[in-house]
Amino acid sequence: MNIAVCVCQVPDTASVIGYNDGAIDYSRVHEVMNPYDEYALEEAVRLKEQFDDSLVTVFFVAPESSKEVLRKALAKGADKAVLVSCSAVVSDPYQIAHLLSQALTDWYQAVLPDIVFCGKQSTDIQSAQVPAMLAEMLGIASVNSISVLNVEESFLSVERQIEGGTEYIDVQCPVVLSADKGLNTPRNTSVRAVMDARKKTIDIVPASYHHEPFVLMTDVVPLERKKQCCMVSSENELIQILSRDHNVF
Amino acid sequence: MNKYLVFLEQRDGIVKKASIDAWNRVQELARLQPYAVVSGIIAGMADIRQLDGSITGDGVIFFAKNESLNRYNQEYYTRLVSDIFQHEACDALYFADTAMTRDLAPRLSVRLQASLLAGIPVVDGEAAGSCRRPVYSGSLLATFVPRRENRIYILSSRITARPASSDGHIDFMDLAPQWLTAGDMFPVVRRLVMQKGSPDVAEADIIIAGGRGMGSAEGFVLLEQLASLLGGAVGSSRTVVDEGWRPHAEQVGQTGKTVTSSLYVACGISGAIQHLAGIGSAGIIVAINSDPHAPIFDVADYGIVGDVHVVLPKLFDSLKEFLKKK
Repeated sequence: MNIAVCVCQVPDTASVIGYNDGAIDYSRVHEVMNPYDEYALEEAVRLKEQFDDSLVTVFFVAPESSKEVLRKALAKGADKAVLVSCSAVVSDPYQIAHLLSQALTDWYQAVLPDIVFCGKQSTDIQSAQVPAMLAEMLGIASVNSISVLNVEESFLSVERQIEGGTEYIDVQCPVVLSADKGLNTPRNTSVRAVMDARKKTIDIVPASYHHEPFVLMTDVVPLERKKQCCMVSSENELIQILSRDHNVF
Repeated sequence: MNKYLVFLEQRDGIVKKASIDAWNRVQELARLQPYAVVSGIIAGMADIRQLDGSITGDGVIFFAKNESLNRYNQEYYTRLVSDIFQHEACDALYFADTAMTRDLAPRLSVRLQASLLAGIPVVDGEAAGSCRRPVYSGSLLATFVPRRENRIYILSSRITARPASSDGHIDFMDLAPQWLTAGDMFPVVRRLVMQKGSPDVAEADIIIAGGRGMGSAEGFVLLEQLASLLGGAVGSSRTVVDEGWRPHAEQVGQTGKTVTSSLYVACGISGAIQHLAGIGSAGIIVAINSDPHAPIFDVADYGIVGDVHVVLPKLFDSLKEFLKKK
């Protein structure tokens, strides 16, 4: 099975996103692989272990200085890592999808990989648009935020949670699948695997074509959520307030 | 003139409340413009009588009553919506924020070469046409500005307001796309299993949520009883899901669902910023926690400091008594 995995990096969940003079302060931010991409990568590596002659290639759109995420992917079991190198950080989902689709078509030439895995969204900007955009650009099907994947004889059967229920979907390759939490539990890497990954080469391909962004993110301001909490002393008092003042029961 | 198109999503023949709310919100937006026309689209068979009394304003709703559209198919739906958008020369397309939208809207963004925005639309001033939504675990609020003429908006869910009564008129126009083919078109939704009983946490009007403070999976029985008494849903913090006490479908927060309930009761939840990211659109927030310094109290409207295992049974009994008298 030929499998591509698209990854990106985000501030880890413990990072403090500061705000200084009208701009996001990234100085205290530690970047890690997007958690949803870890599920995507893990699923790809599991398929590789299940099917002989499989090849897992990881793609990452970023400036040339950022390679740590790809090293981590290699340590987790990816065979090849490709940095789609651009001059600045790209954050518009359309642009990212476009650069990925170009990179995938160039890399694989005539035959697209059987599965292109992505995380369902990045945890920083949370647009959740790249996987379906990428599929549309590649002219193939996609299923978003899958939580179960089974390989059948001639198709894949997947499940995903929707509001109030579960969809059971059959889909044929080639396909873009985006991973939700619950798809698997990503493995830990051994020190040995991390050391070996340091020795592997990372292919660098230039970002071939810059499409103008479709959307610009501007005016980022701190979000104030604080409320005045009214402490109540008994359950009965709470019920009275909710019923009388807010009409909730 | 502005021409708006609203996608009205049906599942199992029922048009989603969130879609009806999106339609009503677009009607409000249209009223702010000198000349604006609103159209709608329903793909698949649906019971449109249910729309009486809940849908407001004027406009035409295109109704593609075809069985092969009953269940979501990304290619059919993408083609249907983009055809109407282009045929009607629309400039903006609106969706409610649902799983189907998350699949369909990015495809349409590419096919229609349209800017895709999600959040709360900015209606006036220089930023009109932009959308605002929280980013970075809900610690910051960003404005997203469209750069294309065509726009697609995913309206973030909110507590559904009761529609203002309206004397508008809505026409339904049947649509029979010639290109629909019989047989399977991958991906195929083989089965759709809707959960019975309690509502989904993303759609519930009352949510009783629990965190690590519940102590164990068994501790959630208290929350289930309370939720079922009030016709609400049980929600969970991330820790609880990671511990395996509750399913991921119930998780509220950054890597879970965003809620729009009018009442959110947080029991034994400390209030990590990732959790708060999911409850920013909730109405009244009540926190019950033994730690008076828990950050959840900073975002709550009402708080009770106490052990959930003591407070919740008393709350359940008092509430049962209260509802009986009512």
